[in-house]
Amino acid sequence: MHVKQTIAIIGAAGNMGQAIAKALAKEENRLLLFSSNQQKAQLVAEEIKSKNAAIEVEGTGCPVDASWEADIIILAVPYQAEAEIAKKIEDVARQKIVISISNPLNETFDGLVTLPGTSAGEELQKILPDSKVIKAFNTTYAVNFVQPLIDGKQTDAFIAGDHATALTVVEELVRSAGFNPIVAGPLKVSQTLENMQLLLIQLTMKYNYNWHAGWKILHN
Amino acid sequence: MFEQLIKSIQDKVPATEEELQLCKHYFTPKKIRKKQFLLQEGDVCNRLAFVEKGSLYSYSTDAKGTQRVIQFAFEGWWISDLYSFFTKEPSNLNIEALEDSELLLLDHEQHDYLLKNIPQYETYTRLILQNAYVALQRRIEGTIGLTAEEKYSRFLNQYSTCLNRVPQHLIASYLGITPETLSRIRKQMTR
Ligand SMILES: NC(=O)c1ccc[n+]([C@@H]2O[C@H](COP(=O)([O-])OP(=O)(O)OC[C@H]3O[C@@H](n4cnc5c(N)ncnc54)[C@H](OP(=O)(O)O)[C@@H]3O)[C@@H](O)[C@H]2O)c1
Repeated sequence: MHVKQTIAIIGAAGNMGQAIAKALAKEENRLLLFSSNQQKAQLVAEEIKSKNAAIEVEGTGCPVDASWEADIIILAVPYQAEAEIAKKIEDVARQKIVISISNPLNETFDGLVTLPGTSAGEELQKILPDSKVIKAFNTTYAVNFVQPLIDGKQTDAFIAGDHATALTVVEELVRSAGFNPIVAGPLKVSQTLENMQLLLIQLTMKYNYNWHAGWKILHN
Repeated sequence: MFEQLIKSIQDKVPATEEELQLCKHYFTPKKIRKKQFLLQEGDVCNRLAFVEKGSLYSYSTDAKGTQRVIQFAFEGWWISDLYSFFTKEPSNLNIEALEDSELLLLDHEQHDYLLKNIPQYETYTRLILQNAYVALQRRIEGTIGLTAEEKYSRFLNQYSTCLNRVPQHLIASYLGITPETLSRIRKQMTR
């Protein structure tokens, strides 16, 4: 038996929060799901349990306690909500992996609200200087978590961060969620990753991909 | 969140306010519920744990699955498998929460950083390890040399303030005697 890693998902009742929770519902993980509406988080937990009763998962109404118990914290909230949540959990997130999945899109989906030269990932690291912020899961649509195959190919999922061991842990997490993890570089590469998703969203709308679209690097 | 740790450091070394504040940044705060594990047999112990609140205990299990308690840890104590931590070999021990607990954890990287950059922390660690060594030696000497009654008296002295927080069967396991023997000794002592 191994000690389970405890993963707190903040915003677990949202599209991405649910998708990630279901993809990480494995016996080696213990999931704490937070929603500001605790009942919604409990419903997600119940749905996971109904498929596999052996999964340790529960819905909670306290993001601080969930993060305090966690080894890994995933912020599955809009960029605009990240700073507020981050300030609440700062003390209990020290030295922990905090995953930033957000794409800081503007209201018309044709640009990012972050200033040039920075990114949502880097802004989160500024608020949480003692945490290990890792960018992940921002280049994959929520609908593709159920079946990370598109056009018969396993979707790539890019990861960026400054901390080597934390990157390895997240790489494993992304792999276990069914994607092909690619460590893209240090946290500042979040700028590229967030812009890549901006492009994918624009193309998805323009060519009507129906959200079943993702990235795959073709190489020899 | 850091009260017990700061008290523990200040009891042992004259650390400055600045050094104490700096220390705080390197510990990982972690809550753990009763009966949850911090370490399980077969895993490498890759973090040292300081108990801010609550209690834990470490034990091995024999072939029949019987627990053999090694150590208890309450507020202000450290607990880990030092053998596994330093050698990075898989541990033979389990560390389990006896009560809902609040811990401060240090992995190798954080521990090494503090040792290198905060000389008072190094002195503090040396004193903690020194005490742990002495406690271990006393425990071995007690285990092989004392009667069950003597072992229990020594246990009462050492753990006097926390006694009612530990179930009797774990105390018996710690002393290497059966719960029945422990119960007999307790009756004799109250007479
Ligand atoms: N959807 C995708 O395919 C996709 C793909 C890649 C990345 N992302 C990123 O993932 C994040 C979540 O996207 P989503 O599509 O899952 O959005 P969503 O369905 O709207 O869910 C976001 C969740 O965040 C919480 N939230 C919303 N506003 C908040 C606020 N002001 N303060 C605190 N919490 C708030 C809500 O949780 P409660 O009200 O229940 O607490 C909500 O369920 C975004 O940053 C997005 O850029 C999305």
